[in-house]
Amino acid sequence: MKKKTQSLMGMAFFGPALVLLAVFLFIPMILTLIFSFTDFFALNPSLTHFTGLDNYIELFKNEEFVLAFWNTIKFVLIIVPFQCGGALGLALLINKVAYCKKYFKVAFFIPVVMSLAVVSNLWIQIYSPEGILNAILSLFGIPAQPFIHSASQALPSVAFMSVWQGVGYQMIIFLGALQGINPALYEAADLDQTSAWRKFVDITLPEIKPICVFVFITVTIGAFRMIVQPMVMTGGGPSMSTYTVVYDIYQTGTVNWEIGMASTMAMVFAAFVMLLTAIQNKLTADKEGAVESPKKRLFRFGKTLEEDEEASYVEQSTEA
Amino acid sequence: MRKRLKVLSSALLASSLLLSGCSSKKVEPGSKPGYDEGEEYLSMWVHVIEDTDEGRAYRQSVNEFNEKYDGQYFADVEFVPRNDSGGGYSDKINASVMSGDLPDVLTVDGPNVAAYAANGIIQPLSELSEEETSIYLPSILDQGTYDGKLYALGAMESSVGMYYNKDILEKAGVEVPDGDHPWTFSEFLDVLEKVKPVTDELNGYPLAMSFPVGEATIYYYAPFFWSNGGDFVDETGLEAEGYFNSEANKETLDYFKTLVDKGYMSSVEIPDLFESGRAAFKFDGAWEVNSIYSNYPEIKLGVAPYVVGDHWNGERYTPTGSWAYAASSATKNLEGATKLVQYMSGVESGKTLNELTNSLPSTYEAFDQTEIFSTDENYKALYEQLSKYGHPRSITPAYPQVSISVQQVLENTVISGHDAQSELDKAVDKIENKLKRYAS
Repeated sequence: MKKKTQSLMGMAFFGPALVLLAVFLFIPMILTLIFSFTDFFALNPSLTHFTGLDNYIELFKNEEFVLAFWNTIKFVLIIVPFQCGGALGLALLINKVAYCKKYFKVAFFIPVVMSLAVVSNLWIQIYSPEGILNAILSLFGIPAQPFIHSASQALPSVAFMSVWQGVGYQMIIFLGALQGINPALYEAADLDQTSAWRKFVDITLPEIKPICVFVFITVTIGAFRMIVQPMVMTGGGPSMSTYTVVYDIYQTGTVNWEIGMASTMAMVFAAFVMLLTAIQNKLTADKEGAVESPKKRLFRFGKTLEEDEEASYVEQSTEA
Repeated sequence: MRKRLKVLSSALLASSLLLSGCSSKKVEPGSKPGYDEGEEYLSMWVHVIEDTDEGRAYRQSVNEFNEKYDGQYFADVEFVPRNDSGGGYSDKINASVMSGDLPDVLTVDGPNVAAYAANGIIQPLSELSEEETSIYLPSILDQGTYDGKLYALGAMESSVGMYYNKDILEKAGVEVPDGDHPWTFSEFLDVLEKVKPVTDELNGYPLAMSFPVGEATIYYYAPFFWSNGGDFVDETGLEAEGYFNSEANKETLDYFKTLVDKGYMSSVEIPDLFESGRAAFKFDGAWEVNSIYSNYPEIKLGVAPYVVGDHWNGERYTPTGSWAYAASSATKNLEGATKLVQYMSGVESGKTLNELTNSLPSTYEAFDQTEIFSTDENYKALYEQLSKYGHPRSITPAYPQVSISVQQVLENTVISGHDAQSELDKAVDKIENKLKRYAS
């Protein structure tokens, strides 16, 4: 009887969440999968046919999609190392700073709180031919750069702005990890007169490795989803140099009304990102066993306990 | 197993409750203020929120309609917000096409009339007499016509202006021609050559122009293509090959390239170049007049007729169009829907919109009755250009792709220096790809 009420209670708690998830996530996902095999056109749904794999075949011949795909890869390749590295660097600095810690934390975190559209508009001004960045460059005798107005500079410019915008969030995560490291480890290293670099490599990095993996994967997925910055700042231009996959999905589905094709793009892209994330997870997790299964950890814990007992026994016996 | 069934059924129950809240219900007389027994109910969607000048203008016009047709019709307007990139409102229409919940009357952006008509979202209005249609500017009738039938009528018109800075032109000793004798491409190059020393001194450019992503580019620069004997699609709107990639269009692209090569325009967009008084000319929508008047009163603004191709023969060539009203395919009361469309696009509505939003009206009478079009020389010039030379944007169901393609071709060839012919051919492929669906 008690079990029955318990299961009912459980259902009552997770029911609403399940319904919302189903309506806004699971059903749309399943629909996307179904639509991806059709020529669904938003203005005329009654003419929809199943087209099998036609969309998938056409997609890989679609120049714009392929271009958008490469652009997105470029964005990821720039954003991931800079954002992860930058966040770690900032976290290390803030961890060391003795004064105005709060000020720096807030200053680096403000861009994260601001809306992407606002930040993008701000950077349009900064990157403007007569904007502040070019004014600073001219102080060093560097001629004015076109930045987001040139096909070759637009992508790095937008990527840099994204790094600036997002870095504060990962910084806070790293900061939390850094502050969780047992200070005794550093004290022990100090006793051995270890250099700062060795301390970083041998203590800090291994200790925060699980967090690094988490940040690495979330930043990668975030970079793949890039759309707002190019949409607001460049409209995907100049000459489509900042056109991303998600932007292409949006254009195809919303502007050209081709829901079928847009669904195919979304499926292919989602599969690709999932695959990549799985590979990333595997590569980063297996080395040195930094992310261990709970079983393994328990086992090690038991072992260390045994070892500790042994050590204390040795200690006692020598004292005696 | 039973447990799983229970979970499933509770989830289904909850979701069905959730969905039932969304289904439409029939509106009964008396359930809305002003909707009385014996009146026919007409639902209408507009693309703005009520708390804007445009929204208030729509509300006022609907109220006037309900007063005028008291006892016969009752129009009920719903305000559906639309974001900048066009989502929101159009998403709702797309969803309603599927669920069959379209209202009797809806607003459609001018260039989308063809796509909505070709896909059966809107239906032709009921027959209007010549007297009824003669009140509208020809451009508004052209915009609303697809496949020979009139689908939509709007209360707003728009146009583009070639704006100039009077001080700069005076200093350069340039006289602006009248509306019927615009500068040709070659004459305009001479003008720019004269103006350049003056703007160089101001650390500016003769032309404040760029090719921004979005609808602006086709809107501002289509006149160059049209007046040079080119077009983007054929009359049916279903063929781009031989039109978009015509010799004339290639020539026009070369002309733009000359403007960049000779340093008449910056290849990189400089914000507020014209507004800061450092450019002689600017191409922009009709709304720019009001914006300059209110934000940059120190600029002495003039409107010159848009530049034309060297072989122009007085054809219509300046772009027009704005949001219009159409009867949806779902309406069972076409007569009433047409009456509502007529009223909403009529003289009074046009005047109200102009008063509240400064948009150009779509009827001759509204222009005559609005003082600013006879007293302000710039507004007068815009109206003359619109009524004499207004040319609707390409009427084709693949309009979104045409618009995107024009922008891309201009950017790729003029700014990035790609080969014009291959860019035009590529654009044709993309447009034809979208048109495949309409091939009968």
